[in-house]
Amino acid sequence: MPNTITEQNLRALIDTLVKDGSRVVGPKAAGDMTLYEPLAGGTELVLGVLPRRSAKETFFPLCEDILSYQKMEGKMTVEDIDLSRLPSTVLIGALPCDAAAPGILDAVFSWDYQDEFYLERRKKTTIIGLACTKSDDACFCTAVGYSPAESRGSDIFLLPLEGGRYRCQIISDKGNLLVERYKSFFTDEEGGNALPLSQPSMEKLDLQKIREWLENNFESDFWKEIAERCVGCGACAFICPACHCFDINDEGSEGKGVRRKHWDACGFSKFTNHASGHNPRDVQPQRYRNRIMHKFKYYDDKFGQTLCTGCGRCVRACPVGIDIAAVLQEIMKYEL
Amino acid sequence: MNNTKENTTPLVDNSYYEAVTTAIRSEARRVMESGEVSAVIGYKSGRRKGSAQPVIISDVSRIDELVFAPTCTNNLSLYLTKAKKEVSKKGKIAIVAKGCDLKALAGLMSESQLKRENLHLIGISCAGVHGSNVKPSEALSAATIARKCRECTVHVPEGVDCIAGTLPQLEQLSALESAELERLEAMSPAGRWAFWKEQFSRCIRCMACRQVCPFCYCEQCLCDRNRPQGVETTPRPAGNMGWHIVRAMHLAGRCAGCAECERSCPMDIPLNLLNRKMANELKELYGQEAGMQPQEKGPLATYKEDDDESFIK
Repeated sequence: MPNTITEQNLRALIDTLVKDGSRVVGPKAAGDMTLYEPLAGGTELVLGVLPRRSAKETFFPLCEDILSYQKMEGKMTVEDIDLSRLPSTVLIGALPCDAAAPGILDAVFSWDYQDEFYLERRKKTTIIGLACTKSDDACFCTAVGYSPAESRGSDIFLLPLEGGRYRCQIISDKGNLLVERYKSFFTDEEGGNALPLSQPSMEKLDLQKIREWLENNFESDFWKEIAERCVGCGACAFICPACHCFDINDEGSEGKGVRRKHWDACGFSKFTNHASGHNPRDVQPQRYRNRIMHKFKYYDDKFGQTLCTGCGRCVRACPVGIDIAAVLQEIMKYEL
Repeated sequence: MNNTKENTTPLVDNSYYEAVTTAIRSEARRVMESGEVSAVIGYKSGRRKGSAQPVIISDVSRIDELVFAPTCTNNLSLYLTKAKKEVSKKGKIAIVAKGCDLKALAGLMSESQLKRENLHLIGISCAGVHGSNVKPSEALSAATIARKCRECTVHVPEGVDCIAGTLPQLEQLSALESAELERLEAMSPAGRWAFWKEQFSRCIRCMACRQVCPFCYCEQCLCDRNRPQGVETTPRPAGNMGWHIVRAMHLAGRCAGCAECERSCPMDIPLNLLNRKMANELKELYGQEAGMQPQEKGPLATYKEDDDESFIK
């Protein structure tokens, strides 16, 4: 039974996967920051840093074409995107808060409509998750039911050991297939002691209680107080591993163009703007309320999971210091 | 921008922040209790150690929530614009303003968006604030200070109703932003184009740069229009370039230099370089510069018979 892999072999595995024609996505230096991007080789993999944006774009890109159209001699032709061209992908080095997200999103992308773009990428992707050894005071995965050692969502899960090795846990058939195919990179040795994992300090939140409070407080003044400062940008939603709203736009000319699907955010004023000009979420508190309701009530009501893995990205990025963990703590203080 | 090579020795003593905080609270209490103002816009602490966030206080019992810290980065004048319709603009309001924020307030007055008599200005003797991506608990140091603050000329605001705190002796810091601007200006147009193309390729169109800008108060942004579409709204090269050029041009002669757009950008695009470039152009062409006092309308919104029209071919 293959148990461990050295860091050197992990990087060599990336080289081989790339050579074999797989798209390998992992944390990679992009200027001064780190992003999940396609890796050209194993040396590009950056370990121990939470990328600025989440790994959701592996399945749900920032922007993608969903069809193209062309008018020739007065006749309009529409061409679908050939999904078979989407490459087989390995997402490597995804931290637990990122690796867990696709498993949450599967429910909505395969609910009343089968989102073939998301599902095709999902089907073709193997996730190699990595336990988290470096957190900061914005992290709160343990408060929302995840942890630095959480393997949920991964197909293979790596636990860092002393001496530059990783213990491999095979979680799914997909993971097993990959390990079987690339057996020579793994060894049967037990490896050394596990390195200490991060320890997010926030206390566990009672998500059930929060949901109940949300159930009864749609009209609470709380939303005004919290969201008065919200400026209505999409930074929180765009960098969130679980936010998945998108817009569809036709771009091009009358004669030729492309229909594109791209990220959207409920914080934007135009998010709910009707064609008539009426906007049911006319002010920011109503929009911020939707953010919390969707994450901690609606999605849970419908799919039995919450839309937050506690990565803390929105906490770090919010230009006006809105801290979703603090908002939840505040809700916890209220009587039901 | 966090420059890790810089010195992390604190630039100012903690007692400075305590004194500024005390002064803000006492002035806010005075004007609230006397009924002179209906609300105070300031900063309060957040959950993370050292963090701060904007707060609008209309209940005098909450005055002691007000603080000043290196994390008080926001330009609060944003909350007085018509873009923030959730905030009541009724009656006189007190607002905490650093020198750079005051320039934005003056600009908004020049554009007839605000009236001086409706504001009670609590100015800050400001030593500087954090740049982007700095851990809130870190002290203000050469390594953590915002680039704009390294070249600040408005540490002590003028024309305000009171000044909170006394400015400590400040160390002279190298002008990183000017140096970067000079580097770009020395490039060939093709080199500059390549630089900005690369920068804008990271843009995810979260619109944080627009939403935090006190001068982006249009009720219908051209870049949000879809009937017909003005600028592509998808995060792709054409639309990204279009959006950032529109933003820079619409702010020329108006931007007060608070650099909130750059600080708020989750993708670290150095937007203030564009703002500064436009400001330099306006200064050179029209002798106009953002200041701490309201001015006549900006040069791009005024017509004079002796305007230089030689560029019209």
